[in-house]
Amino acid sequence: MSDGNNMIRIQGAGKRYPMGAGEVEVLRGISLDVKKGEFVSVMGQSGSGKTTLMNLIGMLDSPSEGTILIDGNDITLKPQKELVGLRRRTVGFVFQQFHLIPSLTAYENVALPLVFAGEKDNGAVDIALERVGLSHRKEHKPAELSGGEQQRVAIARAIVMKPKILLADEPTGALDGTTGSMIISLLRSLAGEMTVIMVTHNRELAMLSDRIVNLVDGNIAE
Amino acid sequence: MRLHSLVLKDISRRKIKLLVAVLGVAVASAALVAVVTTFSAATDSLYEESNNFGANIIVRPEVKTIPLLAGSTSMGSLLVGENYIEESEIPRIYTIMDSSKLSAVAPRLYGVAELGNASVVIMGVDPEEERKLKSWWKVRGDWISTEGAGQTEVMIGSDVATPMGLTEGSSITLRNGNISMDAQVTGVIESTGGNEDAYVILPLAASQHLLGREGKVSSLEVRALCNTCPVEEISMQIEEKFPGLEARSMSQIVRNELAIVEHIRSSAMAVSIITLLVSTLTVASTMLASVNEKLKEIGIMRAVGASDAQVVSMLLFEGAIIGAVGGIIGFVMGTIASSIAAPLLVQVTPLPMWSILLPVTGVCVLTGMLASILPAKRALGVDPAEVLRSV
Repeated sequence: MSDGNNMIRIQGAGKRYPMGAGEVEVLRGISLDVKKGEFVSVMGQSGSGKTTLMNLIGMLDSPSEGTILIDGNDITLKPQKELVGLRRRTVGFVFQQFHLIPSLTAYENVALPLVFAGEKDNGAVDIALERVGLSHRKEHKPAELSGGEQQRVAIARAIVMKPKILLADEPTGALDGTTGSMIISLLRSLAGEMTVIMVTHNRELAMLSDRIVNLVDGNIAE
Repeated sequence: MRLHSLVLKDISRRKIKLLVAVLGVAVASAALVAVVTTFSAATDSLYEESNNFGANIIVRPEVKTIPLLAGSTSMGSLLVGENYIEESEIPRIYTIMDSSKLSAVAPRLYGVAELGNASVVIMGVDPEEERKLKSWWKVRGDWISTEGAGQTEVMIGSDVATPMGLTEGSSITLRNGNISMDAQVTGVIESTGGNEDAYVILPLAASQHLLGREGKVSSLEVRALCNTCPVEEISMQIEEKFPGLEARSMSQIVRNELAIVEHIRSSAMAVSIITLLVSTLTVASTMLASVNEKLKEIGIMRAVGASDAQVVSMLLFEGAIIGAVGGIIGFVMGTIASSIAAPLLVQVTPLPMWSILLPVTGVCVLTGMLASILPAKRALGVDPAEVLRSV
C-alpha cells in the first residue's frame, strides 16, 4: 500500500548495537519522509549513523525501535524471508567499493539480481548497461575496468530490476573528482524514475541532489 | 546465467585453493577404491585357493529311517532308500542355475575288498576330479590315472602300505567274492590323519567292476566357488535337480571361509570409513576457509537478492563438484595404487573395478555436500550490512 506521495516514511527509528557489556546508540529515534522520485543526500561525520540509516532503508538491518514504511509497507513487521523478496523488487544498492564479483563479467554482474530473482533477462541487462554507457564493455571483468567503469557497472546492477529506491553509499568515495561528478550526474538522471538516497561527505556533490539531510550523532539536524 | 554457472565460474577462479579439498576427497576415494579393489581381488583369489580346502558340499542318496515297532516295543529301525547314485545322472548337476560356480564334482564309490588276508576299504574315484579336491595330498610315486597302461592303477594309504610292506611299484591282487583284480600301486599317500590313510584308491570304473556296482556311485563330493551367494543355495539347487538325493553343505568349511572374508571386509571397511571421515573434515575445513574468504561476496549476493536457500544450494553444489572431481581422481589413483600394492600385499593382481566408479563418486559427492553443511551455516550467519560495512 502506498503512503501518499512518500516512498519512504521513517518514524522514531532508533538503532543500538551491543558493544562490550553495554550498547552503542547509532540512531536516536529519527523521523524522515522521502518522496517518490526524490534525490536526497545524507551527510554527516564518520560514525553519525549514515550507513546504518541506509541499511535500515535497504532492509539489510532492522531498527531497534520505531517504524519504517517502504512504499507503504511496514518493513519492521515483515519476516526476513519476505524482506528478501521485497528488497529484490524495491531496492538497488551502490557501494563505495563497488562490490562486484571478480570472476564475473560486467554483463554477468549486472545480471546477478535477475538470477537470484529467478527472472529472465529479456534485454534488461543490456538496457541497464546502455543506461550507464557501458554496453561496449560488457564482456570485461571488473579487474579490466577503471574505477569509474566499475561503479557504473554497480549502478547498472542496482537498476536492472527497476527498483523504486536506489541507495548509494559513498558512491564517489573511491573515485577521482571528475569521475565522481560523472557518477553523480548519472544518479541525478535516474532520480525521478526512482527515489535516490545518497550518502556522501562531499558537499559540492550533495548540492546536486534535491535535498540534504544532515546526521549528527544519530539525530537529524535541521 | 544460472546459479550453477555462478558456482562453476567461482570454482574456476579459485581452483588452486579448492585443489586441497579435491585432493582430500581424492585421497579418501583412492583409499576406498584401493581397499575395495584389493579386497575383491583377494577374495576371488581366496575362493580359488580354497579349492585346497576340499569339497564343501556332499551329495548322497537320501535315506529315511523308519522305526520298527511291535505294539509299543521298539524293534530298532529300518533304513529305506537307494544306496547309490546313478553315474549317468551326474552330468545333470551342471544344469543347476549356479553351475558356473561348480569347480569340482568328484564321484566316489565305497566298498570292501580282500587284499591278501586282510579286508580293506576301497574307494573308487575320478582321478582328475579327485585331484582338484585333494591337491594337498602328498603322494610318494604317482597319482592314478583313469586309463592305466594295461593294468589297474591304485594308490594306497599309509596305514595299508606300512603293515603290508607295500610301496609304489608293488603289485597287488584285490578280491571281492569271485571277482579278482590285479593292480599296480602307483603311489602311496603320506599320512594325512584322515580316512584315506586306510583306503585303497582306484579308478571309479575299476572299483565298480570289482564291487559289482557298474554305473553306480556312493556319493559326490562337490566344490562350489561362490563369493556372491551362500553355498547352502547351491545345495538347494542340487536337491531340486535331483529328487531323492540330499546335498549337505559342509558348514564348518563354509563358515571358516566366510569368517576370513568377513574379517578382511571389516578391516577394509574400517579403514575406508576412517579415511572418509578424515576426508569430510578436510573438505569441511577447506570449504569453511573458502566461505570465510568469500564473506564479502556472500554479503554482496545477499544484498543483491540471494535468498538463504540460494546461498546454501550454491555451497552444496560447490561441495558436490569437489566431491565428484575428487571421487573420479581418487578412483584412478586408487586403481593404480591397488595394482601396485596388491601384488606385494596379498599376491593378487586386481583389474580396474569400473562397477564401483559410480557408487564411489556418489559417496564422494555426498561427502562433499555433507562437508558443506557447516560452512553453509556460517554463510547464513553472514550479516550483509556488517560485511559490507567492514570492507
